[in-house]
Amino acid sequence: MPLAAQALLPFLALLGAAAIVQRRPRRASNGWIAVGATGVAGIIAMVELLRLAPGEHVDVPYLTTVPYADLAIRLDGLSLAFATVTLITAALLMLARLRLHGDRRDPWFGWLLTAAATCAVIFAHNLLLVYIALQLLTLAWTGALDETARRRRAIRLSVQVADIGLLLAAASAIQSVGTSAFSGVPSDTFALPAFVLVLLPVVARVGALAVSAGGPQATVAFEPAIVWVAPAGYLFMRMLALMGGRLPDRPTAVVLFAAATLVALAMAGLALFERSGARRVPLLLVAQAALALALSTGADPLMTVACTWLWLLLVPLAGLASVRVAARSTPEVLTQVNLAMIPGSTAFVGLWLGGLALNARGLVFGIIPVGIAVALSAIAALGRLKRPRSLQVDPPTVWAAGLLLMAAFPIVVMGRLVVPAAATVRLVPGSTVATSPFGIVAGGRPWPALVVSLVVGLALGLATWRLRLRAPTLPSPARGGGKRLIERLRGWRLPGAALPTMPTWGRFVLWGAFAVAVYNVLTRP
Amino acid sequence: MILYIPAALFFVGLLLAFGSAGRRRQAATIATLLAAAWSLALLVDPGSVAWAIGPIGASLLLARPGERVNSSFEGLTRRVATIAVALLLALLLAARLPVGENPLLLSAVPWFLGALGAAWFASPIDHLERLQGQVLMVAAASAVILAAVPAGPVTASLAGAMALMPIAGERWRLPGPLQLPVSVTLLGLAAVAVVAAGVGTSIARIVLFDFSVDVSGVILLASAVLLVAGAALTPIGSEWTALLGVLVVSASAPSLRWAALGALIAVATVLTKEGEHLAWIAFGVLGLTPVLQGVATSTSTSTVRVQAVALALGLVLIVLAARAGVIRVLVLPTAGFVVILALAAVTSPNLVRLQWITALGAVLLVARMVVAWLIDRSGRPAIVRDQLLFALLLLGISARDSLGLGALAAALLLIDLAIVRIEVMPERWSGTAARLVLLARSNWPPAVTFAGASMAVIAALQASLALGVLAALVLAGLQLAPLFDGHALAPSPERPRSPLGWAVPAVSIACGVAPALLLRLLRL
Repeated sequence: MPLAAQALLPFLALLGAAAIVQRRPRRASNGWIAVGATGVAGIIAMVELLRLAPGEHVDVPYLTTVPYADLAIRLDGLSLAFATVTLITAALLMLARLRLHGDRRDPWFGWLLTAAATCAVIFAHNLLLVYIALQLLTLAWTGALDETARRRRAIRLSVQVADIGLLLAAASAIQSVGTSAFSGVPSDTFALPAFVLVLLPVVARVGALAVSAGGPQATVAFEPAIVWVAPAGYLFMRMLALMGGRLPDRPTAVVLFAAATLVALAMAGLALFERSGARRVPLLLVAQAALALALSTGADPLMTVACTWLWLLLVPLAGLASVRVAARSTPEVLTQVNLAMIPGSTAFVGLWLGGLALNARGLVFGIIPVGIAVALSAIAALGRLKRPRSLQVDPPTVWAAGLLLMAAFPIVVMGRLVVPAAATVRLVPGSTVATSPFGIVAGGRPWPALVVSLVVGLALGLATWRLRLRAPTLPSPARGGGKRLIERLRGWRLPGAALPTMPTWGRFVLWGAFAVAVYNVLTRP
Repeated sequence: MILYIPAALFFVGLLLAFGSAGRRRQAATIATLLAAAWSLALLVDPGSVAWAIGPIGASLLLARPGERVNSSFEGLTRRVATIAVALLLALLLAARLPVGENPLLLSAVPWFLGALGAAWFASPIDHLERLQGQVLMVAAASAVILAAVPAGPVTASLAGAMALMPIAGERWRLPGPLQLPVSVTLLGLAAVAVVAAGVGTSIARIVLFDFSVDVSGVILLASAVLLVAGAALTPIGSEWTALLGVLVVSASAPSLRWAALGALIAVATVLTKEGEHLAWIAFGVLGLTPVLQGVATSTSTSTVRVQAVALALGLVLIVLAARAGVIRVLVLPTAGFVVILALAAVTSPNLVRLQWITALGAVLLVARMVVAWLIDRSGRPAIVRDQLLFALLLLGISARDSLGLGALAAALLLIDLAIVRIEVMPERWSGTAARLVLLARSNWPPAVTFAGASMAVIAALQASLALGVLAALVLAGLQLAPLFDGHALAPSPERPRSPLGWAVPAVSIACGVAPALLLRLLRL
């Protein structure tokens, strides 16, 4: 099959399923069609990733309908790894939704379109096309064809405004080198302003995770993983790839590391005070995303592998955390363990790699705030851990257990998923990370992942089943943490009545000022 | 001595026109036109006298009532003051923009004619005088430009014939059975223009005697836009006015081009008077550019600078005037494309000047909206999204980047403002069709608004960092605009239940999906 057709297969699967689902609404089989199509799309992306040679990338052009935003697909380690993870997560979310009852809405068409739009963001071949795809993604997840619709308006508009940063970065690239295509932009094209502009949509999406805390809870929320985390992570890693794997300069890296670590600390701290489990989970996810951002500031291969690991595995974790499960159920316990960032969780592997990289560069003190953030997250997540009532096998349980297994056997994802993606961002020598069924070796230090997972699992099991120990929790000082602030922001209105009126001659002043300005422009030599 | 006779004849005619009524006044008005024709014959060549046919015919059609209209002291004072100021201004302009080495009183006669028209238009005693004022303004514009940039007799007569258009716009509507066929024909012509430009067959110019029209890619695109706007959005029976717009963008001779623009403004303001005065001021400012170009060699080099400023100021004023009605549907795109065409001749230092003024104009647009809201919160608020799109249009037009994205953004935004953002959606549409219309008028891709606004930001950044940042801020405001506007659209100019309502969303989506095709047309 020609490559041009192969690259389109995930889109064909998703859009074809969307068309079928739309033509026959409210059929019981729609959910299965959506799961099947999304899963197939994810498998196609994975097969493409496995077939890709190390360091290889393929650009598949189709049409030029928008100037400087050629309709073309970019297949490389980064895009295929993110597409694989995102689509499989989307399929799992759909499967979880299918198995949960109590929500009679029919989300399949919107979810399929959202998955396709996220796929478009990830596969887009140039920055301008990424911007267009991000707008389509916003349209798809909100369904707000009517722009005055009140549903999720604040988040939608914030994200749309933040995305203008990406447009400006694309315009800057077009101005500098005549293209914003990933293949044609030299690594020195993007200076600090362009980097900051691209950071805007990333930060907006990570922030959206936090703001969505405490909102209306569906049985399964599609947005956190597919709309916020996956595009944010991909966009940031892609920007790093465009900049040759390093930030514009050292001060920028230091500032970003400090800011991201502070955010992680703040979010973990807020999570500690948060009584509601539904609101605590997004805060912990934001803390993880912030740590991923913090570890993205390094310029060495190990750090790149670490942040790639964190970003990639944050997507399924965010998906898992978006499935509403019963209190004191097995998946809830396993999800909390994953969110805790303790040894044995997926995030800890990335943090360990990042810590090694920091240590190798003599930045041991940098590990301290990261460690504090991890500790706070662990206390917040495990503080209310209770023994599950019964052991059941359902999609969320399998999913959560799968993530813990990945932490125990990093070999499963490291060599085939993480390293190819990291190698797209910057050159990763083969000796950077060595994997074995029992763990990984990086920077000369081994990480016995399997042993650690077993020990931690045993310890946690003893703590909850036998010893019935409970980690300390703090009372919420504001009775609701950040909820009040968010509600106050939501209730904010323009102070229209308080503004003074202007006399009628005000408009003459305006015109006079314009006339003076025009005269100055005219007489300027 | 004979050189001063046209001026003398003009002033005699002027005094008689002000002091009499009925046929005597008509004859006096014709005398002023004859004076201008005589002046043209002496300034340029006798063939230019053909110009007078149109204005004289128009004046004959405008029969005056036999009885004089009673006027109050205030009214009389206002009229006298208006004509005095207008004549002084005309004299000043004639002195600053001399044609060759001719005596001032000879070259000033066409300017005086324009002053008389402006005075009658600004302070009319009745509706007919107002119309006569428009006729004289259009005629004077062509005469002044003919004096600065001479043309052959056919072109001169056509330029003069534009003076008939204000009367045609006032009195002539297409008969009912012809309306739909004419609209469909105009749409067909638009399609032909796009196909011709898309195929890439380059026909530089079509010539008939001394009359010629250009048919480059930009002109074909502009013609297509105007024809679609004319067919789908002009008031019922006025579809033909789109052809005036096509004449403006395609005519090679400046005298014909600018006279046709004046005629278009006159026709456009027959039904909707909103923004009329600003539009005429903009016409006057824009009309100065060919005159400045014509006299540039005989005066200082500062004329080139003034030309750029006039172009920018005229554009800003037209944009400020184009809130609703046919001014927005036809005059705005016509003037926009004319300025895009004229920008090719502007030098880089003067382009910066132009960009400054358009940026100031963009700020003025937003500030005017805020000030109007602060002054009177009970009045009808301006549509925020429209004002922001106007601001982006100004920035896009002025960008003139090497990639051509500024022109592309301007073309897309002109299509959006003139065709898409007008209230003609049939209420009977529902379901998928209604959703399509909603999408076509939204900021989402693939609507033309999204494409135009995005391209404007990119183009503005190519021009300068300040313009780029300003455009980005405007785009951010555009995303928030639906919060203030809801679904508000500019009112449709008297075209209820148009059977061609489907053309609007179709054009929006087509342009939003494939702006690269438009860029190709613009580069031909």
